Amino acid sequence: MSSLQISNAAKAYGAVPILDNINLDIASGEFVVFVGPSGCGKSTLLRMISGLEDITAGEMRLDDRVINHVDPAKRGIAMVFQSYALYPHLTVFENMAFSLTMARAPMAERKEKVERAAEILRLTHLLDRRPAQLSGGQKQRVAIGRAIVRQPKVFLFDEPLSNLDAELRVQMRAELIQLHQRLRATMIYVTHDQVEAMTLADKIVVLNGGRIQQVGRPLDLYDDPDNKFVAGFIGTPTMNFLSARVKDVAADHIVVSGLGGDTAAAGLVIPFAGFDPSIREIQLGIRPEHATIAIDPASAEGLAAKVTLVEELGDLTSVHTVLANGERLVAQNHGRRHSGAIETVVRIAADKALVFDMAGQRLRPAKA
Amino acid sequence: MSTTVTPAATLSSASASIASRRSVSIATILKWLVAICVAIVAVFPIWWMFNVVFSHPGVPISINPRLYPTSLSAGLNNILTIFTETDYLRAYYVSVMYTLLTIIGILLFSSMAAFEFAQFQFPGKNLLFGIVMISLMVPKAVTIIPTYLLTVQLGWLNTMQGLVVPGLASAFGLFMLIQFMKSIPAEMIEAARLDGANHFQIYWHVAIPLSKNALITLAILTFMSTWGNYIWPLIVAPSPTMYTVGQVVGLFNAPYSHTTVDIVMTANLLAAVPPLIFFLIFQRQIVEGIAHSGTKG
Ligand SMILES: Nc1ncnc2c1ncn2[C@@H]1O[C@H](COP(=O)(O)OP(=O)(O)OP(=O)(O)O)[C@@H](O)[C@H]1O
Ligand SMILES: [Mg+2]
Repeated sequence: MSSLQISNAAKAYGAVPILDNINLDIASGEFVVFVGPSGCGKSTLLRMISGLEDITAGEMRLDDRVINHVDPAKRGIAMVFQSYALYPHLTVFENMAFSLTMARAPMAERKEKVERAAEILRLTHLLDRRPAQLSGGQKQRVAIGRAIVRQPKVFLFDEPLSNLDAELRVQMRAELIQLHQRLRATMIYVTHDQVEAMTLADKIVVLNGGRIQQVGRPLDLYDDPDNKFVAGFIGTPTMNFLSARVKDVAADHIVVSGLGGDTAAAGLVIPFAGFDPSIREIQLGIRPEHATIAIDPASAEGLAAKVTLVEELGDLTSVHTVLANGERLVAQNHGRRHSGAIETVVRIAADKALVFDMAGQRLRPAKA
Repeated sequence: MSTTVTPAATLSSASASIASRRSVSIATILKWLVAICVAIVAVFPIWWMFNVVFSHPGVPISINPRLYPTSLSAGLNNILTIFTETDYLRAYYVSVMYTLLTIIGILLFSSMAAFEFAQFQFPGKNLLFGIVMISLMVPKAVTIIPTYLLTVQLGWLNTMQGLVVPGLASAFGLFMLIQFMKSIPAEMIEAARLDGANHFQIYWHVAIPLSKNALITLAILTFMSTWGNYIWPLIVAPSPTMYTVGQVVGLFNAPYSHTTVDIVMTANLLAAVPPLIFFLIFQRQIVEGIAHSGTKG
């Protein structure tokens, strides 16, 4: 149980910057998930924390001790690799006891610690097997067991579930949550799967292009993203982005027009206190759940849209449409099936729309 | 194997299916014939040796050739003669030590060097590797005299270390093990590092066990080339006390040796026994190893 502070950390391979200006506070016992697209530097950051990769600039503290130059084995950090990295020539027991064997711990201690970890992970009956005789999920548990045996201050997981099939992944996710509750250890988990991030995390760190985009609780990121990247990355189907012109600015709302290239429409009133009147062009972020297909297109107010694809999931119907100017918009009907119409009207819950500037930064209303 | 089903056979007419079965069996017979021919060519010299050794003394083989042994006691007598009248046992000892120490040394040094080359970066790595590769291309005949002179200067003529040490730097072994160890996943090494294994422990507990197959292959290839090595022992250990089996056999085979052909053959047969035993034990690994490394020792 330990806290970790990273300040102004950076990483470069030669002249190529990979990570820049990383600032992060991880409290003791927290479950933190790093999420971001492939190549954004998640693994690199994790490996810097583990000590397998040295840090080019900045500082890393574990329990107020600077660990920049501490040997990886002495940081009290254990890592679970995506490929499991189990030793094929050793049994499950020997794999889990590897760190103790290296430290020449007495056999009784090895047995006790491994058996305790095996019990937590329900591996007791597999201790004599070799990794080749295990299923993917079992291998993953052995890899976690090897980490538990070390009783580390911090657990690091690098996409540990990505080699498992969908069903097993859900099951292992639940097990990881239980494990975290049981061990109360600080855990840092890397994934590019935002569902995994949302379900596991106390705190999500969204990375893109080597920079932290936003840090926050899962639902905070969903409801209140800092920028277009976070807004688009969290949530499926992804948020719709529509460019719009600001027609009118009032004290507590703005009126936008030109949505989807529809010049004739009267404009959409969006509650927004203290809008900067110098901004003329914006992008509106609208979650699919806040856009619905009008039941009676003839009389309804909204955006004219042409349906291109309908995804029927039973309870939920996602309707993919294209607007007059070619922008795409996904709407959802809850509990209502699509009528089959091609020409439709989409209604937008204007009070739920998020406003971004053209650079993709979120514009937030002034606090009342 | 030609187990392909011909279109005719799929018609399920009785004659067609018989025809196809016959064509399969003809192919099988041919295959076996070829295999048996090759086996006869390979085994015959050894069998002939055996045949000559275990034959009645005084009946010249060349005049009245037979393909079967005729006298067990004569053969045993020949063997006894060799062991009592020559230093054959001593030569066995020298050869076995020479081979064993060379195998152990090559495995140890090659694997340690290969571990560094395959998994770590260090200054001058590419240059060093280049030098190793160049030495792989230089024929043995070119280096044997300088190596000999060096050994002489070290005062190692007629010593076991003179026989063994110069052969321990195996560019081929290094190259083979580097290629193999490169395939050890970096994550496995990193996991061991996080688990507190030091450099040597990673080598010993991770790299070595994971390279077991390559090491066995290298051991077998080294055995074959060392046991059969004639030139090096001949020049570096010319004293009779340091004769290897190969040299002793060479003495018997020399044009002016006054021994009879059955004694010569006995010496040859005894020299062939250890490799035969070795081959019978490691048959599977040898075949796999040669297929794996693409070399024949
Ligand atoms: N040893 C290296 N030398 C140079 N560049 C590297 C090295 N390792 C990684 N990179 C680069 O660093 C960037 C970040 O890599 P990293 O492995 O951290 O990505 P990631 O976020 O984990 O991606 P993924 O989801 O695909 O695992 C990538 O652009 C990669 O090309
Ligand atoms: Mg990665």
